[in-house]
Amino acid sequence: MTASMWSQTRAVTERDLLRERRRGEVFWITIPFGAIALVMFPLAIGIDAVLLERIGPGVFWVIVMLFGILVSVRQAATETTAQRDALNLLGLEPAAGFAGRSLAAAILLLIFEIVLGVIVIVLYDLPATGLGWLIVMFPLVAIGLAMLGSIASGVVATGHSGAGLVPFLVAPLSVPLLLSATQALEGLRLGRPMLSWIVLMVIIVLVLAVLGTLTARPLQESR
Amino acid sequence: MSSAPIVSANTSAKRWPWPAAGTAILIAFFFAMVSPSDAVQGNLVRIMYVHVPAAWLAYLAFSVTLFGSIGYLVSKRLTWDRLAASSAEVGVYFTGLTLALGMIWGKPTWGVWWTWDARLTLTAIMFFVYLGYLAVRRMTSDPVARATRSAVLGIVGVVQLPLVHFSVVWWRTLHQPPSIVRPDGPQIDDPLMLAALLVSVVAFTVVYAALVSKRVELARLDEAVADRERTADVPVAGEAVTAPNLGGAS
Repeated sequence: MTASMWSQTRAVTERDLLRERRRGEVFWITIPFGAIALVMFPLAIGIDAVLLERIGPGVFWVIVMLFGILVSVRQAATETTAQRDALNLLGLEPAAGFAGRSLAAAILLLIFEIVLGVIVIVLYDLPATGLGWLIVMFPLVAIGLAMLGSIASGVVATGHSGAGLVPFLVAPLSVPLLLSATQALEGLRLGRPMLSWIVLMVIIVLVLAVLGTLTARPLQESR
Repeated sequence: MSSAPIVSANTSAKRWPWPAAGTAILIAFFFAMVSPSDAVQGNLVRIMYVHVPAAWLAYLAFSVTLFGSIGYLVSKRLTWDRLAASSAEVGVYFTGLTLALGMIWGKPTWGVWWTWDARLTLTAIMFFVYLGYLAVRRMTSDPVARATRSAVLGIVGVVQLPLVHFSVVWWRTLHQPPSIVRPDGPQIDDPLMLAALLVSVVAFTVVYAALVSKRVELARLDEAVADRERTADVPVAGEAVTAPNLGGAS
């Protein structure tokens, strides 16, 4: 990555984070929405403390994946064709655009995971063990989901009418990440080896990074 | 504007799919019928002669979609896109067939239509991934944009394939592990059953090739029709309006 690429990536990331600071969609809508879902689960399945402790980690990851999609695909609904055209005319490298959007979404997703993680530990009475592993897992899931969202947004890229399709594309594609995360957390809970699941997550993230970078230009040219 | 016919005369090369597919299916049907029934499952085992080939074709179809997608992004030739899309379409059909037959087999064997087994669930997820691929293709009528966007999805989607295949190894599942492609050789003891299964795999592969070949041809014709409509001589707006005759005005 050249210096120009870095600066472009940073500019796109700062733009997306600034937009989030102004609008507050993640902080004031998605995070409370996810918290409500965490509260509703026990109401729906019955207040059984043992059962809740058993399913808590899985519920957490499912909510992170489903609600995290809303975070990762924000740009599909917010970035207009005119804005994309302006960025192209300014000479934005497609790969830098992909990296910048993904990085911004990953930062927001990481915050989303941490807030919901604290809520699920408190509400579902989960033991806060293995924090060291969580420090590795949370960013991996956030980066993977953010890149999937960026790729899917690039594939759809038809403004508001196509934005509805993005979650349909991202949800099934995020299943490998979801499985790795749940299996790793389960391994952590039961004291089983979990390194292989972390390695699988790293591989998925690397594959997505390569695919996203390589396909950024053709996707931009197809608009 | 070209007046050449879009559909060219039938040639033997274009006629082969249906006779070949029909013959292959008849042979496979014969083998499936003469193979013995299973000691435990009885005649229910014959579902295997369609279920296993359908699952194999899902793998094959989505792998071809991957190669077609890469081929398009590298060469920018729409031929690759047609191959990728046609294969995905046929693959979705065979994945649906795999799931349906698995459920029909599961009800009398496991007692339920559906169980949360890793292989079953991941196959269903794969089905949805490629439904998404087909949905993306319907979003735009511009062939180049459609080809590029779906090619990206055709490459990303293939991540599901190893996950589905190795699910029976990575998790303790209700679904049996691989019974043919194994390091210690096939696990089917009866040679006639094994032969029937292999023949049906070959037969279904011929059916897949026939369907994809026809679908590719149909896609080419679709594009030719769209292209002709776009470039056709159509009346220009205002053409019917003539200048008023102002009589003696000069």
